[in-house]
Amino acid sequence: MDLQVLRWMGEAVERTTQGQNDKRERVVKASRDITINSKKVIFQVHRISKSNREEVLEKAEKDLAAVTDQYISRLVKELQGTDFWKLRRAYSPGVQEYVEAATFCKFCKTGTLLNLAEINASLLPINDPSLEPLQINVLDYLLGLADLTGELMRLAISRISDGELEYAEKICRFVRDIYRELTLLVPDMDENSDMKKKMETMLQSVVKIENADASNSWLTFLSKPSVCSSLQEQRLA
Amino acid sequence: MKSVFRNAYFTLSRSLNPNSNPKFPLSLFPVCRISAITASPSSSSCSNIRNEKFRLFSATSSDSSMTDGGASSYSSSSVEKQFEHFRVQLEQSGSLRERIRAVATAMESAIRIMHSNLLLVHQSRPVPEILEKVKGQIAVLKELFHRLGEILRECPGQYYRYHGDWRSETQTIVSLLAFLHWLETGNLLMHTEAEEKLGLDASEFGLDIEDYLVGVCFMSNELPRYVVNQVTAGDYDCPRKVLKFLTDLHAAFQMLNLRNDFLRKKFDGMKYDLRRVEEVYYDVKIRGLTASGDSTGDQGTQA
Repeated sequence: MDLQVLRWMGEAVERTTQGQNDKRERVVKASRDITINSKKVIFQVHRISKSNREEVLEKAEKDLAAVTDQYISRLVKELQGTDFWKLRRAYSPGVQEYVEAATFCKFCKTGTLLNLAEINASLLPINDPSLEPLQINVLDYLLGLADLTGELMRLAISRISDGELEYAEKICRFVRDIYRELTLLVPDMDENSDMKKKMETMLQSVVKIENADASNSWLTFLSKPSVCSSLQEQRLA
Repeated sequence: MKSVFRNAYFTLSRSLNPNSNPKFPLSLFPVCRISAITASPSSSSCSNIRNEKFRLFSATSSDSSMTDGGASSYSSSSVEKQFEHFRVQLEQSGSLRERIRAVATAMESAIRIMHSNLLLVHQSRPVPEILEKVKGQIAVLKELFHRLGEILRECPGQYYRYHGDWRSETQTIVSLLAFLHWLETGNLLMHTEAEEKLGLDASEFGLDIEDYLVGVCFMSNELPRYVVNQVTAGDYDCPRKVLKFLTDLHAAFQMLNLRNDFLRKKFDGMKYDLRRVEEVYYDVKIRGLTASGDSTGDQGTQA
């Protein structure tokens, strides 16, 4: 057995695995920064109320653009066109959170769903044209959407307590649509144990919005003067 | 599903608590509840009240959807279109994965035959005879890897998306090949040699380095048993050869900076193999079964 050969092998392998481990660490770090800053965007959107709508959303969009420019572009730089699938586990959490923040902003602004193609198109400018561009894959997009429903639930509840019932109902329809569409996709997803868990949470969110909506419509109905008086008459009778 | 509904009911009844909604005076609530029961003659249970509320809710929601059909409301058809597209994409990747798994299953059965043939080495069958038997299976595996490469060519750049589906098979194959190679030559099977044997090409469909290293770790698990059986069969020089090989291998691995994962765990197991071989070597030596002159080189011993 030639020890020299082994040494050589060790060094060759070392160069590749060590480089990859370092890279993985940096990618994980970049992903964590994206997560933190995307969460800030989401909190910003939650500050929305009837009066300050425009201003809050404007700030949120500016923050989101900053996340794209600073943190996503750093992730792109760290990845440097390596195999996106190989390091997916390392950056997936951050990308999911980013999808969540971007779609949340878009929904509050226009009431529509931000498509994957639109997100990916917005990422193109920050990519180095000489390298293969980072494009968010379907799986991360869908996982991000699943988290979005949780944020929408919180938004719906706060809208109801603010008295914006129609808006809450709009959210409710939107979340239901997402939930319904996702139920069809889950069986086909790559590793769907994660997604299955998210689906359960999502159903809970849908139910919570529906219940809040329902109890409110019920109370609104009862508080109408005509209903009130007729009920009281019935009670007296 | 049932529990979801139960939760739904609890949340509902909790959210009906008028305290949570300042718009309605406290006194109104009991009135409402009583009159709701008396209003519809058939409703005498909680579930009926619940139905009533859901009906009410759906009525109002459809009302509002008719009214706010302006530019601000989103169109569910564009959502549907995107998801339809995703469904097609995911179905394609799903069927691709099924084909990959089919190949992996075929690999597994070839591996099993190869492994059972290789086990004959513990019964001191001559190595050339075993090599002859195993050769056929290597050809089969080569063909299967070729097929796998063809499938992956359909989805360029997604090697690591599906990697997990043939990973453990590849590791086992490397371990068997490395063991064979060692029996044949007494040397370690190199990464490039392994690729060559399996007809792989690093530029296109290569052998992942981690898979190769894990395979080598698997091989070291086989060695202690081999040493014991060789000694039983009367080959007293075998422990020395194996010990040298394993010590070198362990030293080479130690130079790697491994992160805390599966490979690291496998490597940590290697020192137990090393110790068992050391023990066998010690036993052989202390009984005087091996010639004392082995420090001079690789001179075989006739005890």
